[in-house]
This record gives sequence, C-alpha cells and structure tokens, in this order.
Amino acid sequence: MTDILFVKPALPRSGALVLPLAEGFTLAGLAREADAATEGAVTRALEAAGFKGRKGQICTLWAPGGKGGHLSRIVAIGLGATPDARTAEAAGGAAWPLIAGDPEAFIATDGLNAALTAAFASGARLRSYRFDKYRTREKAEDRPKLVRLSLASAAPSEAKAAFATLSAIADGVFLARDLVSEPPNVLFPEEMAERCRGLEKLGVEVEVLGPKELSKLGFGAMLGVAQGSAREPRVVVMQWKGAGPASDAPPVALIGKGVTFDTGGISLKSAGGMEDMKYDMAGAGAVIGAMAAIAGRKARADVVGLVGLVENMPSGTAQRPGDVVTSYSGQTIEVINTDAEGRLVLADLLWYARERFRPRCMIDLATLTGAIIVALGHEHAGLFSNDDDLAQKLLAAGAEVEEKLWRMPLGEAYDKLIRSDIADMKNVGGRPGGSISAAQFIQRFIDTREGHVAWAHLDIAGTAWATKDGATTPKGATAFGVRLLDRLVAGHYEG
Amino acid sequence: MASEPADAARFRPMRLRLRGRLGRKAAARPRLLPWPPGAPAPLPDLAERPAAPCWREGRLLLPVPADQADPPAWNSSAWDPPAWERAAAAALPALPEGTRRAVLDARHLSPAQALALARGLALAAPGGFRLDLWHDRPEALAPLWQAERAMLKAVARARRWVATPANRLTPARFARALKRLERHGIAVQVLGRGALERAGFGGLLAVGGGSAHPPRLVVLRWAGRLAVPPVVFVGKGITFDTGGLGLKRGAGMEVMREDMAGAAACAGAMLALALRDSPAPAAAVLPMAENAIGAAAYRPGDVVATLSGRTVEVVDTDAEGRLILADALNYAVRAFRPEAVIDLATLTGAAITALGHHRAALYGNDPVLAAALCAAGEAVGERLWPMPLPQAGDAALDSDIADLRQCAPRDPSGRAQPDAGHAAAFLHEFLGDDPPAWAHLDMAGMVGEAARGEDAPLSLPGGFGVRLLAGLVAARFEDPHRI
Repeated sequence: MTDILFVKPALPRSGALVLPLAEGFTLAGLAREADAATEGAVTRALEAAGFKGRKGQICTLWAPGGKGGHLSRIVAIGLGATPDARTAEAAGGAAWPLIAGDPEAFIATDGLNAALTAAFASGARLRSYRFDKYRTREKAEDRPKLVRLSLASAAPSEAKAAFATLSAIADGVFLARDLVSEPPNVLFPEEMAERCRGLEKLGVEVEVLGPKELSKLGFGAMLGVAQGSAREPRVVVMQWKGAGPASDAPPVALIGKGVTFDTGGISLKSAGGMEDMKYDMAGAGAVIGAMAAIAGRKARADVVGLVGLVENMPSGTAQRPGDVVTSYSGQTIEVINTDAEGRLVLADLLWYARERFRPRCMIDLATLTGAIIVALGHEHAGLFSNDDDLAQKLLAAGAEVEEKLWRMPLGEAYDKLIRSDIADMKNVGGRPGGSISAAQFIQRFIDTREGHVAWAHLDIAGTAWATKDGATTPKGATAFGVRLLDRLVAGHYEG
Repeated sequence: MASEPADAARFRPMRLRLRGRLGRKAAARPRLLPWPPGAPAPLPDLAERPAAPCWREGRLLLPVPADQADPPAWNSSAWDPPAWERAAAAALPALPEGTRRAVLDARHLSPAQALALARGLALAAPGGFRLDLWHDRPEALAPLWQAERAMLKAVARARRWVATPANRLTPARFARALKRLERHGIAVQVLGRGALERAGFGGLLAVGGGSAHPPRLVVLRWAGRLAVPPVVFVGKGITFDTGGLGLKRGAGMEVMREDMAGAAACAGAMLALALRDSPAPAAAVLPMAENAIGAAAYRPGDVVATLSGRTVEVVDTDAEGRLILADALNYAVRAFRPEAVIDLATLTGAAITALGHHRAALYGNDPVLAAALCAAGEAVGERLWPMPLPQAGDAALDSDIADLRQCAPRDPSGRAQPDAGHAAAFLHEFLGDDPPAWAHLDMAGMVGEAARGEDAPLSLPGGFGVRLLAGLVAARFEDPHRI
C-alpha cells in the first residue's frame, strides 16, 4: 500500500523524480531546479531523446547524480498541448510502472493546479492495482516497492481535498476489480452478497434476498437460471440515501448482471476461453463498485443498486432448452438457449426495480453478448436506450472518464426476432444482430404501463476485461462502468 | 433483345399508366383503395379500418399511414415515404393469385403519396406487373413518374446482375454488361489482366489469380454539368466467393454469387444518375474477380504489393473483398481527386452479427458525409447505422513481415473479433496521405435469403444501395452553390 501525500514544492534528495511536462514547455519550478542540480543533465537528456512533451512521451534518466544527491532516476512525462484532468490522470497512470520499483517517488506537479495534481495522483493509484492474493511464492523484488508517493502542489490542502473524492471513487474501482478477478470457486452468489454487506460501513443499506424470498416474489426467470447450480442465488438491494430528507426526487437505479460463473448450462459453451466466464458478473461488480464510490464520496443523491447473483451450471436439475418460465412481470419466456441467461436475470430485476423504487432512470450493465465484441471490439461498450437524453448523458460521462460507449440501434424489426411460437417471447433472436435482440428482450421488462421511464442498457462484454495494460487500467478486470456511473450521478443527479 | 436471358422478364420494371378517369375495362380490374386513418370508409357498410390489406368483392382495402400535410414538407417527420411504400407492397400478396394488372385509386391522395404507393408496388411487384394510377391530376404526376421510372429501371438492372448466377456472370461478362451503359451517356473503361498487371493492381490480381476467369477493373464516368470534382463510388465485385484456400463451408455457399452486390449497386446508381440527367459528376470504380481455388490461387501467408505501394500480408483468403477494394479505393482517390468516395461491399459476417439484416454498417472519416448517407438511407428505407472506426495504432493489423496484414488471425480459442471494424480500418489505410471524405458501407446483411424478412428494404433482393446512392447525390452533390 502506497501513501499518497501532497506537499509544498521542494526538490527531493533521493528516490524517483517525475517531471510532467506539457508540449512546448520551458523548464520551470522544480524541473528547472532539478536541471540545475544535475548540471543540465535533464536538458541534455530531453534534447537527446527528442522529448517534446507530447502525450504519452516518456524519457528516463538513471542516477543523474550531480548536486541532485541520490535520485535514482528522473522521469519526464509528456502531458500534450493542453493538459486536462484526463491527460493528467493518464500521465499519472503511465508514471506508475516507472516509479513503482523505488520506495519513494516525488512528482513535480508544482506547475499544475490542485485539480490536475489530484488527477495525476489518482491516475497513478488506479494503475497501481494488482490482484496478487493467490501468488504464494512471489519474490519481494517482483513486487512494487513504492511506500510513499509525494506530489508537489502550491496548494497542498486543496489538492488533498480533491484527491479524497477521487480516492473514494478509486476504492469503488478496486472493489469491483477484486470481485471480477476472484476465481469462481471463491466468489459465488452467497459470498458475493456477503461482500456487498461491506458497503454498510459506508452508510449503504444492504438487503439480501435468498431463494425463499425470490420464489415467493416470483422471480421465475432468474430462478430458472439458478436451478442447475449447487450454489444458491441471491439478489442484493443496496440503497444510498444521500439526497437528504428534504429531497423528494426518485432515486437513480443501477442494475447489474452477476453470473458468478457461466458454463452456458445445458447449452454448454465450448472449452476454449471458458475461464473468461468468471467475469460474467462484471455488470454486478460495476454496480457494487459504483455504489461504493458514490457512498464513499458522500454523493448528495439517492441511488439504488440491484444485482442478481447466480451461477449457470449444467446438471440434473438444470433448466432445459425448451422450458417456459414465468418472469416476475408475468410475461412468459421460452428458453431456447440456456446460455442466454443474463437477460433472464435482468428481466426480473428490472421489473422489480421499477415497481419497488419508481426510479427516475434505470441503467443496467451486463456482460451480455459475444456479438457486441464482434460489433464494437474492446474499445467501446454498447449503449442501448429508449431515451435520447439519458443516452447523451451517458455518452458524455463515458468520454470524460475514458469508459467509452457507442450507441446501438433498437427497433421493432429487431423485436420481432424474439417472437416465440408458444410463449410471450423466446430468449434468443439468433446470431444476426444478437446484441440488439438481447437489448430488445430486456426492453420488454421495462414497465412503461404507467408512463415512460428512461432506461439504458450497457453491454460491457468487450470492455470488462483487458488483455493488455491501459493508461490507468492494468490488464485484467477493468471495473468498466464504476467511474462512468459515478460521473453520471455527479454530473446530473446531485444537489 | 436476343441476348437477353430467358428470365429477364422477372426484372422488367412495372408499367404504369396515369389515368384521370377509368374506362369500362379498367373499371372492371382489381382496384386498390388506400384508406388513411380517420378517412371515411372507401366502401359502404365498413365500420372499421383493417390492420392489414383485405380483399373484398374486387376491391382491396389498403390501410396507409397517417395523413400528411399536402404537399409534404421535406423535413416533416410525419411524412414517411418508406412506410407508404411498405403499405403498398403489403397489398400484393392480398391480391388474387395471378393478378397482373390492377388499378390504384389515388384520387384523394397528394401526388407524393400516390407516387410513394406506386413506387412501393413497383419495387415489390413481379416482373411485368401493370398498374393504372387513377388520380385527379394525372398531368401533375407525369413528370414526377418519369424520374421515378429512371430510378426503378436502375434498381431492376442491379437486381438482375445480382440474381445472375456466377457461371453466367464472370468478371469478363459483368464488365461486358456494364459496357452497354455507354448508350446512356456513361463512359465505360475496362481494364483486363494485362493492364492491371502493368498498373500494379496487386491486390485485385492476387484475389483473382486462382480462377479461370481473370479479374477486371471497370471504371464508369458520368460527366454531369457542374465543374466540381466527382463523387466516386467503389463497389466490391466478387462474382463468386468460394473463400479461396480458406474454403467456406458448403452450406449456404450459393449466396456467394451475390458477393458482387456492392458493384451492382454502384453501377445501378450511375445508371440512375444518367437516366435522370444528373448535373453532378460521378464515377464508379468496380473491381471484379472470382475468388476461386486453383493452382495459381493466392495463399495465406503471401505478401502482396498493392497498387498504393504498400505491402499486405494475407492472413485469410476469404477476406478477399478488402484486398480488391484497397486497390480500387487507391485508384479512385488518385485518378479522380474526388469530393467524396463511398464504397459498398458485402464485406464481413461481423457486420451481420452486429446489426442483423435490418441495417447496413456505416464506417467513415467524415461525420457530415456519414450524416448525409444516414439521411438518404432513411428516406428510401435502406437504413444504415454508424459504427466506430478503430483508432489508428490498433495493433490488430500489424504484420511482422509486411506494412500491414489484411485481418487479425482467428483466435485459437474462438474469441470474437471485431472484423467489420478491422476491415474498415484496413481500407482507411489506402486513401492516401490526404484522404478525401470517405464512407464505407458493409452491406453483407443485405444479400441472401435471410435478408428477405418482412421488414427488409423493398429494394431487396439485389437492389440495395442504388436508391441510397442516387438519393445522396440528389440531396448533396447537385446543388451548384454548395460549399
């Protein structure tokens, strides 16, 4: 664990020194002092390396010596032409792997304002995440050694306050990454519900529904998915009441798919890549992480999170292709493919969420379809919505936090793909337009009998897991959605 | 015409006769009675407007969408011509079997509404169908119908090319068929294998190498009257796609005779522009090849030098479309310095997985052109959806041995790949250093049996893209004062 401190500018005598520099820079402040202390080594190195301060540009000097004392290295990082929170954060993320081998590092952010300094620190922290609890023989030298990360600021207390908010959000991100990274034998519905209880210490009201309550309520679609597994299903309802008693605005509802492992059920998946299916609960992970972020920074908004937790297994009690189940809404569903189980879980949750909370808007997140990866790859998550205004807000929030969305179409022609011969609908519409017919299915469980409710569905199958490092996301669980949802709430539903 | 194939009648456009009043014989024909909501029943003793067309004593009651302003404002959201076209098309199966001639009673409709219904019938009717259009002002309709006829003729021509089996539509024969467009004032240039070799069309020659029917490049030019750079269409013309050495599975392979639908659409659009004497200069660059298996077929692992000079590592011989388009796009940009270049191709299965059979995928580098294309598509019921172009620096197309590779290799454990996006990113690389406004339409979902569902564009089978492109030119490139 690294301590992150904000201090008045003063050149350090040891450890790593990072110089964030914008395009067209002239060395000033600490950077200039460092150059002087190293007898111009910084200037010479930057010139020799062709360092211009472009975004992502990096130049490292090892053991610069001189009057600089015992600095292990000086790292210059480009901020681009006009540094903003995003570039500062990305630079912080890029800096992390370069300084993590030193016990101490100092960032010369004295030229940046408090907000950008905090963003730089947050980027470094986000990038520092690692999931190493199952490594029992890792050598100390392979672990990061950074104990203290200090950032220079003309207004340290201001930067510290700004960082406190970002740090609460990062806590939510880390929680989601932990949940998504956990192996499926460790993290099953009951255990995941138990971890949600941890949010109570942030002031979140947590309520867990087990199989008895669920069957009494009539969650037929979700229980059909769960019935093949030895692990019992759970629904967790998390309420953050931050708007205060004076507010009568309805809450924002966040709904997450939490299939802790998806074998496909009787419609068994092929073996190749099945291990990825431990992250089929990433939608729920993002909702839980977002609730932690929102509560952690004491957002002045009412937000309710609901996650449906099941394991999809083939067994003697498993649901069969051809079964017809009755959902909580009363609508019947012919199960054609037991591997299209996520939408069955969401169906009951969405209807329940609307009925119980009358939310002002509903956003569901799910690693729902492979088709969305074919459509959009790993750069964007698919956004489906019945409301242009909510869709715009989500697109903008996603762009701000580098969790990018791309709007996909809905329409009657796609809805026809899920017509069933014997029930109200079937649970798959075929490969062509597979993500869209899945979204159409979910839309049938947005209860609009008493008027429009803004709803958006994010298909995050392509963005929940990264196979290579990103600026602030080490490879593995990305926690895609946590920061996006937090930003959405911060931007539009607070105060 | 002696050379016409026996089934040409299938593709004969509908004949339409405008009438101000009906004679005795016409009065006896099956009659279509459009019925907008709220209007009085066109037949006595009918209480309720039916939801679907219904046949009653020689009359077909035809429910049409809500009433419109007359004339409909161009930007009125209430005016939805595709919905009217679709309503008319839905009438055909409700007519008694074997009906070849009918009367459309459009007396109470505006000219635009009457024409939308006639157009819907024309697009959906069997070849040789005849329609008497009964309207109060036939003289007002006549000039408008002339323009419609040009479009319908062009759609019919594209459909015929697409429907022609691959043994009868080889690259050479397709090129010869297009040569006949010269009679409409279109300049046609055909490059054979020798010319392609001399010019360096490495991508097109590699793909066509395995077939006994060598490739062609056909260039169509319509001069127009405006002194501006042309808009250029580029269409994929794979006359049959076996997949090459990366052979496709047998089931459904017959659809691959339609793998030249992009080229057919571009040529059809050129014909539409010529027939209505468009002032806008336009050109089409149509690479044609058969992707076959043969002793000279190109192999996975080959490195091909394309026309642009860039080398490409072949990964999958069944991703041949992007190779021939790479050469054609590069040629189009260099030969024409176009104002805009738009390519149409039945390119990837991924586009079908993404958007199904109801929308074609739209990629590009120019938001204004993309918006214009989307609007043109909505206006004719050939709907598109914008998709993201992968960012430069996406490592998917990095090759160890050449400038780039043609596609990402298949993941050994079967993980999904955004192949439609990769294909678009690949094509983007061949637009030169100063790329013009460019749009790429992946219309793979618009061919084959699966595409012909109840909500399919009426121009299917085979005519997708003709009205879209011709409509785009009319809306965007014919105004001499545009900026």
